[in-house]
Amino acid sequence: MIASVAFRNFKALRNTSLRLSPFNLVIGANGSGKTSLIQALQQLRALAKLPLGDPATVTRAGGSEISFAFDAPHLGVIARLGCVDDAVCDLLRVESVNRADWEEVKVGLATMRSYVFDHAAMAAPAPRESGARLAGDGSNLAAVLARWQRETPAAFDQLQAELTRWLPEFTGIVVPEDAGGVVRLGLKIGDAEGPVMADNLSQGVFYVLGILVLSFDPAPPAVVCIEEIDRGIHPRMLRAVRDALYRLSYPAAMGETRAPVQVIATTHSPYLLDLFREHPEEIVITQKHGHEAHFERLADRADLAELLREGSLGDIWFSGILGGVPEES
Amino acid sequence: MKIAFLSESPADEAVLRVLVEGALKEQPTVASAGYRARGWPNVLQVLPAVIRHLHFNTDVDTLVVTGDSDDSPVHTAAHDAPQYYHPHCRMCQLRAVFRQTSKRFPAAHGRLRVRRVVGVAVPALEAWLLCGVEDSVNEAAWTEGQARGILPYTRAELKLKVYRTERPSLPYEIACAVREAERHRRDLRRLEYDFPGFAALLRDLQEPIPEIS
Repeated sequence: MIASVAFRNFKALRNTSLRLSPFNLVIGANGSGKTSLIQALQQLRALAKLPLGDPATVTRAGGSEISFAFDAPHLGVIARLGCVDDAVCDLLRVESVNRADWEEVKVGLATMRSYVFDHAAMAAPAPRESGARLAGDGSNLAAVLARWQRETPAAFDQLQAELTRWLPEFTGIVVPEDAGGVVRLGLKIGDAEGPVMADNLSQGVFYVLGILVLSFDPAPPAVVCIEEIDRGIHPRMLRAVRDALYRLSYPAAMGETRAPVQVIATTHSPYLLDLFREHPEEIVITQKHGHEAHFERLADRADLAELLREGSLGDIWFSGILGGVPEES
Repeated sequence: MKIAFLSESPADEAVLRVLVEGALKEQPTVASAGYRARGWPNVLQVLPAVIRHLHFNTDVDTLVVTGDSDDSPVHTAAHDAPQYYHPHCRMCQLRAVFRQTSKRFPAAHGRLRVRRVVGVAVPALEAWLLCGVEDSVNEAAWTEGQARGILPYTRAELKLKVYRTERPSLPYEIACAVREAERHRRDLRRLEYDFPGFAALLRDLQEPIPEIS
């Protein structure tokens, strides 16, 4: 979908670019530009919904600019965001040989979603009609699952089976609805009489459910951004998290025939990073020096093979050899 | 016999269980806790703590440990000479950790020490899984390739042949790996012949459990 992003004077990203893969795991110190990358994509999505103006009138000299290029079959399309300051972009200029190409790109961008799961919000009851698409904080989780159970039971069953594989103490999902059309979430435990309702479930269970909803979405978006995908999840379950995200980006590897979903995820977990030893091309390191940050692809590092002979990828990152660590005073 | 396993991944452990059962011709009691490492060199890093824990806190009498050789030097008969230790050979490294960790342990739980069972898959466990299917995949071919500087295959190619994808899910990876390991269960001779790193594991498994005299 999105082939690359180039930044000029956008927050700490003063002059850097990033080639995007189907799957991208972004690592780096706090405040190094991981979230800025996702915010840039959100701004593109927001501005792409609006009618395009005259290119001559939407060019702003100086200032911040973010440029996007796209994968085939839209190689000729370039979208440039102009920003009023180093955080807010309000102009979109599109360079495309064929206007129809941009219209197709827009359709994909409109489906793009970003997630920062909030377990407290995910535990809350949700109005029945809010379940069309998982909200950015996961706050309508119960309504989404209820809708899947009603309308796409095969996807619901797949998700439920995967949940019980990840967390074998649970045997199923319940989503009772009250008279006012509000849905609550609960999980069944073995032979216990009643389910454990959301307010008594642990934080990690909600994060797991959020990831599974994205992974088994019967109508997934073209691009998914997820912050801190390892949060609240036991390190031994991170392989399952990786598999769930690969299911989106590489559906053929999982025996599925739908279109791939481009995934941009962030993490601070060396344990999760260890799982990408064989795919360094999927790792992006944000490097920050002073007030300026830039992106590097791990696979571009010439001595990577030699380094990996000496230790695990996560440990090598933590050591500082790869960069992407906090600066010390 | 009560066995514990330590390997680079859950899929590797599933394979080891099948192969060890095949060697023993019986189903041993397996320690309930699953000990895990996060690939090499984490196996080497956590091994001393696992040995210590098993020795003092459990009645496990046998610890089966494997690692992939990756690009490291392959263990040879010359390494088995008394007092010899190759600093980069993973078999030598794993054996040395056993030796150094347990040499001063007092007897506990009715045995002198936990029996060491060590194997190294050259260059990765997937080579064992392809044994008998791909004639060109064997330890001698890899060692010869290392010497010539032209490796006969890559680890990624081996994985692709076993799993048919570069990104298998863990349940699928385990299912494929166990299916291939089951081919060997009844007759381990081909695997033993083609992969001395597996033959070493079998020899260790035939050693008696170190008991208090």
